Amino acid sequence: MDIEFTSAQKAFREEVREWLSAHVPKTRLPSFDTQEGFDFHREWERTLAKDKWGNVNWPEEYGGRGLDLISWLIFEEEYYRADAPLRVSQNGIFLLAPTIMEYGTEQQKSRFLPPMAAGDEIWAQAWSEPGAGSDMAAIRTKAVRDGDHYVVTGQKTWSSRAVFADWCFALVRTEEGSQRHNGLSKLLIPLDSKGLTRRPIAQLDGDPGFAELFFDEVRVPAENLLGPEHGGWGVAMATAGFERGLLLRSPARFQAAAARLVSLYKQHKDRLSSGVGEQVIQAWMNTERFCAATYQLVARVEAGASITSESSANKLFWSEMDRHLHRTAMTIMGAQAELEEGLDAIDNGRWLDGYMFSLAGPIYAGTNEIQRNILAERVLGLPRK
Amino acid sequence: MDFRFTEDQQDLIDAAKTFFDGEYTVERLRAMAAGEEVENLWPQMGQLGLLGIMAPESVGGLEQPLVVMAAVAEAAGYAGLPEPYIEIAGISVPHATAEQLSGFIQHAMRSELRPYIDAALAKSGDAVKSIDPLRNLIKAQGGNDEDIDNINLHGAVLSAAQLIGLSQCMVDMSVDYAKDRHQFGKPIGSFQAIKHHLATVYTQIEFTRPIIHLAAIKGGAAVHNAKVAAIDTAILAAETAIQVHGGMGYTYEVDLHLFMKRAWALCGEWGDRNYHMKKLEDYILNGDAELGPGVTF
Ligand SMILES: Cc1cc2nc3c(=O)[nH]c(=O)nc-3n(C[C@H](O)[C@H](O)[C@H](O)COP(=O)(O)OP(=O)(O)OC[C@H]3O[C@@H](n4cnc5c(N)ncnc54)[C@H](O)[C@@H]3O)c2cc1C
Repeated sequence: MDIEFTSAQKAFREEVREWLSAHVPKTRLPSFDTQEGFDFHREWERTLAKDKWGNVNWPEEYGGRGLDLISWLIFEEEYYRADAPLRVSQNGIFLLAPTIMEYGTEQQKSRFLPPMAAGDEIWAQAWSEPGAGSDMAAIRTKAVRDGDHYVVTGQKTWSSRAVFADWCFALVRTEEGSQRHNGLSKLLIPLDSKGLTRRPIAQLDGDPGFAELFFDEVRVPAENLLGPEHGGWGVAMATAGFERGLLLRSPARFQAAAARLVSLYKQHKDRLSSGVGEQVIQAWMNTERFCAATYQLVARVEAGASITSESSANKLFWSEMDRHLHRTAMTIMGAQAELEEGLDAIDNGRWLDGYMFSLAGPIYAGTNEIQRNILAERVLGLPRK
Repeated sequence: MDFRFTEDQQDLIDAAKTFFDGEYTVERLRAMAAGEEVENLWPQMGQLGLLGIMAPESVGGLEQPLVVMAAVAEAAGYAGLPEPYIEIAGISVPHATAEQLSGFIQHAMRSELRPYIDAALAKSGDAVKSIDPLRNLIKAQGGNDEDIDNINLHGAVLSAAQLIGLSQCMVDMSVDYAKDRHQFGKPIGSFQAIKHHLATVYTQIEFTRPIIHLAAIKGGAAVHNAKVAAIDTAILAAETAIQVHGGMGYTYEVDLHLFMKRAWALCGEWGDRNYHMKKLEDYILNGDAELGPGVTF
């Protein structure tokens, strides 16, 4: 076991740190769930891309630096240490891109990856439907082949930032009369397609972070099929593995929050009851445990292992850790916890925002109940029925 | 940066696990708990190199780092190893001088070594009795504080590792039981409440092992984190396991209690939860160490 960073990795860390300290916006950007905030965040993606910082682990030909996952973790650490903006391109770069790299044709790779890296095309995920949430195999939105197009009709929902994004990756039923996991396919669809209507849905904080998508005979070129026709479930599960397993939430984001929590505690210490300190320590401990586990996972992946059902444990751990961390901050802030704005609002309501969003963690990317089912049945081997 | 065991290390760990699981069966544990005479397996441990894992090569040891010993300790925990093996190979050996160790490995292999508590000492009034029927304890005098702190760090890592081995064993026993036991016409393991409890414990184990490995290599605050996390995981595992076993879990007859009691014992050993939490209080809440991303390794 070797836990030393190489001198090249250390130099890389320095380089990232320097670049970020010169470029990270001095004030926090408005939420990317608003048009204004989305535009600012897209600009930031372009700034990152210009100096090739957006996707350090991607191959160079697609806008990356061809570095390994350890370097990516180092980048993430520096990124959150510098308190840089959240990644508005996350659904594209962390979920779709690895799937394209695995399943896409050469043509799809060169068509879709560079503009994604550049921040010119921002992606939304369109899987959930009103009748298909946890039970995703109940998807009904259909795509009928018509010459060199698919004609898509149906409804998607809870699509994050799809109100403002450019493209979506959808899971639709391509095989007529198919049931459950069979007959689904993954299609890449421009959000400004004719026949596609987007209806914003306000999230818990009031911002239109979700969109409902109505497809009324939307024509999608057949070349936008990603992976095998009718084999979309397998492709989608690969994406879900990236989402739950490694890329979507690296430890740094939570470690930075834990460090801020410790400062918050120190400022308010005198009026806190004695148990709060232990909750703060626990929050910090969890982030360190998550970090150690991630480095072990990355070592295995770099050595050729793939991430399977155990990604469910990852998702459980980070989402519950994040909720506990933010709940602890809310406890510390007491009467000030409810304040969004104004003189007494601590950090301009950042903890409150964080707490609200932490409540979504156990829901998105497959609810934690579903993850526990997966672990119990596929990892522990308990009977389904 | 490659946070994995080398192939050789993994082979050694696997060999230890195979040996513990194969030899220290529950039948053997029960026989030992009942005070029956059983075959001395220490010479075999010596022959497998297990006693000298951390001893210098100059005295015939394998000179492996603490992290390898931690993985072996996890395997020992899983088997409920009823011998003071970790205390000897993982704690005494690395704190002994080469002089003290010379001849030790050879003796061990020739079956001259069998740790026991002197009968006279055991009767001297200094004997104490643990709820764990496989632990023979006596009251001993401590050394100086610095020694104890240092040894505590080793002990904390290795007891944490045993605790997650025990936790995994309790999960596995519960899974087996839940597949077998039927109520309402189905295996109880098909009930979601049972599944979710066990999935929670599994997750805690998976997210405790790596920090134990880090603690073994890096020391410092990671050790306190590792021990507290392992304690909380083991208590959760034990409470979950007894719940999954229902009334059966509350008997002396079902094997679960052997592992549960060992877990209780190790939670308080080598720094209990209070000791390690207080260290973390000093470090996190009262200190000014740099926290956050990029300082874990
Ligand atoms: C912030 C946020 C962002 C999202 N972004 C996107 C996105 O970009 N694209 C997208 O497609 N979707 C997105 N989603 C949707 C998300 O994937 C779904 O909300 C999620 O899969 C749950 O589906 P549901 O909301 O229909 O809840 P339901 O499936 O109705 O679940 C409700 C409750 O029932 C429980 N339940 C359901 N089935 C079972 C079962 N078998 N066993 C035990 N309990 C069960 C659930 O765990 C949950 O507690 C997002 C959601 C959130 C909150």
